[in-house]
Amino acid sequence: MRFLRRFLMRLMNLVTRRNNDKRLREEMEEHIALETQENVRRGMSTTEARRQALLKLGTVEVVRERYHAEQTLPLVESLLGDLRYAMRQLVKSPGFTIAAIVTFTVGIGTNAAIFSSMDAVVLRPLAVPRLDRVVTISEERVRGGYAQTTLANYEDWLRSSSSFEELAVRKEADMTLMGAGDAAHIEAAITSPSFFTVLRAATLLGRVYGPEASQPGQDAVAVLNYDFWQQRFGGDSSILGRKIELDQRTYTVIGVMPKSMQYPSTADVYLPFAPTPEQLADRTKRDYLVTGRLRDGVSTQQAQAEMRTIAAHMAEAYPKTNQGWTVHVEPLLDGINGPYTPEYYRLLMGATLFLLLIVCANVANLQLARGVARRPEIAMRMALGASRWRILRQLLTENILLGLAGAAGGLAFGAFFLHLTLITMPERVARYMSGWSNISLNGRVLLFSLLIAGLAGIVAGMAPAAEALRVNLVNQLKAGSRSSVGSGRMHRLRNIFAVAQISLAVALVIGAALISKGMNAWLHVADFYQPGSILTFNIDLPESRYGTAQKRAQWYAASLSRLRALPGVTHAELTSALPYDDNGWVRDVEIENRSVVPGKLQSALYLPVSSGYFDTLRAPVVAGRGFNQEDSLGSMPVAIVSERFVAQHFPGENPLGHRIRMGGHDSNENEPWLTIVGVAKETNYSLWDPIPHTAVYVDTGQIPPLSIKYALTTGGNPLSVAQAARRALADLDPAIPLNTVETYAQLMHDNLIGLIYVAALLGFDAAFALLLAAIGIFGVMANLVGERTREFGVRLAMGARREDVLHMVLRRAGQLTAIGLSIGLVLAFALAHGLASLLRGVRPGEPMVFAVMALAIMVVALAASWIPAWRAGRVDPMVALRED
Amino acid sequence: MNSAIIPVGIQKVEKMKKKPDVQQGTLALMVLKTLEVLGPLHGYGIARRIEQISGDLLEVNQGTLYPILLKLEHEGVIESEWGASENNRRARFYRLSRAGHKRVESETREWERTTAIIAQFFNIKAEELS
Repeated sequence: MRFLRRFLMRLMNLVTRRNNDKRLREEMEEHIALETQENVRRGMSTTEARRQALLKLGTVEVVRERYHAEQTLPLVESLLGDLRYAMRQLVKSPGFTIAAIVTFTVGIGTNAAIFSSMDAVVLRPLAVPRLDRVVTISEERVRGGYAQTTLANYEDWLRSSSSFEELAVRKEADMTLMGAGDAAHIEAAITSPSFFTVLRAATLLGRVYGPEASQPGQDAVAVLNYDFWQQRFGGDSSILGRKIELDQRTYTVIGVMPKSMQYPSTADVYLPFAPTPEQLADRTKRDYLVTGRLRDGVSTQQAQAEMRTIAAHMAEAYPKTNQGWTVHVEPLLDGINGPYTPEYYRLLMGATLFLLLIVCANVANLQLARGVARRPEIAMRMALGASRWRILRQLLTENILLGLAGAAGGLAFGAFFLHLTLITMPERVARYMSGWSNISLNGRVLLFSLLIAGLAGIVAGMAPAAEALRVNLVNQLKAGSRSSVGSGRMHRLRNIFAVAQISLAVALVIGAALISKGMNAWLHVADFYQPGSILTFNIDLPESRYGTAQKRAQWYAASLSRLRALPGVTHAELTSALPYDDNGWVRDVEIENRSVVPGKLQSALYLPVSSGYFDTLRAPVVAGRGFNQEDSLGSMPVAIVSERFVAQHFPGENPLGHRIRMGGHDSNENEPWLTIVGVAKETNYSLWDPIPHTAVYVDTGQIPPLSIKYALTTGGNPLSVAQAARRALADLDPAIPLNTVETYAQLMHDNLIGLIYVAALLGFDAAFALLLAAIGIFGVMANLVGERTREFGVRLAMGARREDVLHMVLRRAGQLTAIGLSIGLVLAFALAHGLASLLRGVRPGEPMVFAVMALAIMVVALAASWIPAWRAGRVDPMVALRED
Repeated sequence: MNSAIIPVGIQKVEKMKKKPDVQQGTLALMVLKTLEVLGPLHGYGIARRIEQISGDLLEVNQGTLYPILLKLEHEGVIESEWGASENNRRARFYRLSRAGHKRVESETREWERTTAIIAQFFNIKAEELS
């Protein structure tokens, strides 16, 4: 307490510049007067009495200094002095200052931008208090693979678990919104009221629903997600109480969630879940997602252990439905981020911090060059009694000031950079990233920027400051203010920095090139299918009106014939997934009269397609027959399998005529046995899965699903037929919206957006690093030429040709570049292996990329050195020799 | 100068070499105690009193005294105002504030405890520990 008070008083004195000097002087005078008086009383002469009094007091200056030190905060005061001085110094050399601040600006700005999006997306995607305590609980097959849970299991968990403060259940539903503009397909999260208490979510407007809403009949209320509210209702703040119609049922809007609380990020509205008793007793439909908040002191592992015990008991109690199932508990954050996003961000953050290192090396190099000119000044200050530490502090202050100026510029640059990132992210991808819409330059980003700015300042300033302190006092003062040639040590240091810049740049450039190459290959992986000429969109048929296979089959037949009739459309087909789409439904598959080998996962991609799909998408039927008109709702259910399916399950056998059934163990009895009638050419449906799936195709005319993707091949620009297609389908049923209308090429682009981002940002880092490296070697060579002008003059006077001098300088630059390049190549090789393990599709051994990039960097470095070299060759011997 | 004089506070380095260190903060406590017993005093008065009380064994260095007075004032344990000195000139008078009284009490207790403990150690005889 008293320290605080004292500190505050001193701070006040510092700020108000209050000066008690007069008071002290008066007190001291009085003190001496009284002391003198006392001495006189002791019998001294007046002169001697005063002399003794003064002696006892000691040096007045020392007293005053100590008094002053007590009065304010000397450390702060000298810091302010340093800052003022640093400011003057920086203003005095504007060229250097601007160059340093600009490089810091870009370096820190890029870091701030990447950090802020990483912070929003990976670290804190939701404004949930104590997010680390929130977990998701899913069922896990003993054989591997996760699934959602059944309502009856959830109820059992609720009753018997003790690890959780609270559990919440939800299911996701596709719904059609009417009565607010065009009919729109939206996604609803149908949640138990505890969902909001598990997340501890507060609304932006209105309220969330409570336990009363889970009674059937009282559940016609809706809470809107922020983005949906913004886009569909224009952020209308009088939305509360408004009625909206979802799947022919009217709901009253009672609340809006804040922007920072969009979980699940795909949900447009939250609706209360009012389960019926039959639903509550159901142990077969694994349609429900469970989230929970752990009790204090319970770890995720402990919760998982408890849930596994419960699952084991349940497997005994309900062998038919629960045998072979256990429970998986994982932090919500892991689930939100998925496996790739954090990796991408870590990679980017690492590369960008790398860039900051290069920036530091660049500024250090500039400082070293400037150090030569400052030597007389430093020598003078040391001669006047400044300690080394004092000068070091002053020099570092200067650097930190530069860093902070860079941070200020960096935040502006970062904001611009972020804006670019945000506007180039397609909305349909952004909605799958929780936290994406929360990206902003906030307090944490500010703190991060200041921190790295300070660190960068110190890192960049350390070597130059240490070098400046090695000044030889006597020689320097003798030389006076004439600036002298830098020491050999300093040249070595500058060379080291230039080489370091080149090698770091080499690593970054090659890394970026490898990623770009991998990304480019992937972007064109589907070129075989001519994705630029195919239009795709999805539809979801509402179950309420398309509940029977009959109605769905009718819809599909009618819609296809209308679309095929459109001008410009050559084919119109249905499929649940396109090649490399990563969108299929992997289901267990059972082969008739074959026992399942325990522990062996027997699953296949389940693809309902229309009969023309195989020819249109160039996956022709290679054996047996394709689907045709004969295959209808009434006829024998048939399937076409992929070549890989045959190789895996019928090696050396004819698969035709065998029967299979989807769903395996958990299939309900309605799932029909499918007779294999054909084999289709192998097609890859996944970009990411390391092991390609086997595929089972069924006919949409025979087994029509509720949702499907349309693929329209066109002669020209596929987007030009989009409007006509929309109208054609609206004629059939105006309440069925078309979702994600885009070309197949765009779809591929969306799927690869993460990789594209990484490649683009890394490309930026690499380009900037290369620029800095070029500036670095330019600086070193220019400095060398400047210092050796006289020598070159002598050489030229003695008969050296201009080319000889030019080559001499270029040779030196070449040496430095070669060293940087060889270190950089080693770094790049290590980086490439790291990247390859992180990003599928990036291959580490690409000798062409290494060679071309190394050559490019060589050319850039030599081009940057060419200007100083050329100047060296242009030295006029007469002028050079007359100098000095 | 009497070689038996013990300096209080920081003095010139040469002098410090020969004489034992005095515990830090001692001078502050002496100042507070003096003010508590004698009421408001000016700087010289405080210095003189401390020297007298110590039987002229201590010498108070003004270079330390005034910064300490300022420090105590910043901490709020003493207050100061202008007044008239014995020879009727302007002098700064210091007196204990309410917080200062409490501080003297607590510091005194602390000091007594410390000295008691040290005293115990000095009184130790080998047989008592065996």
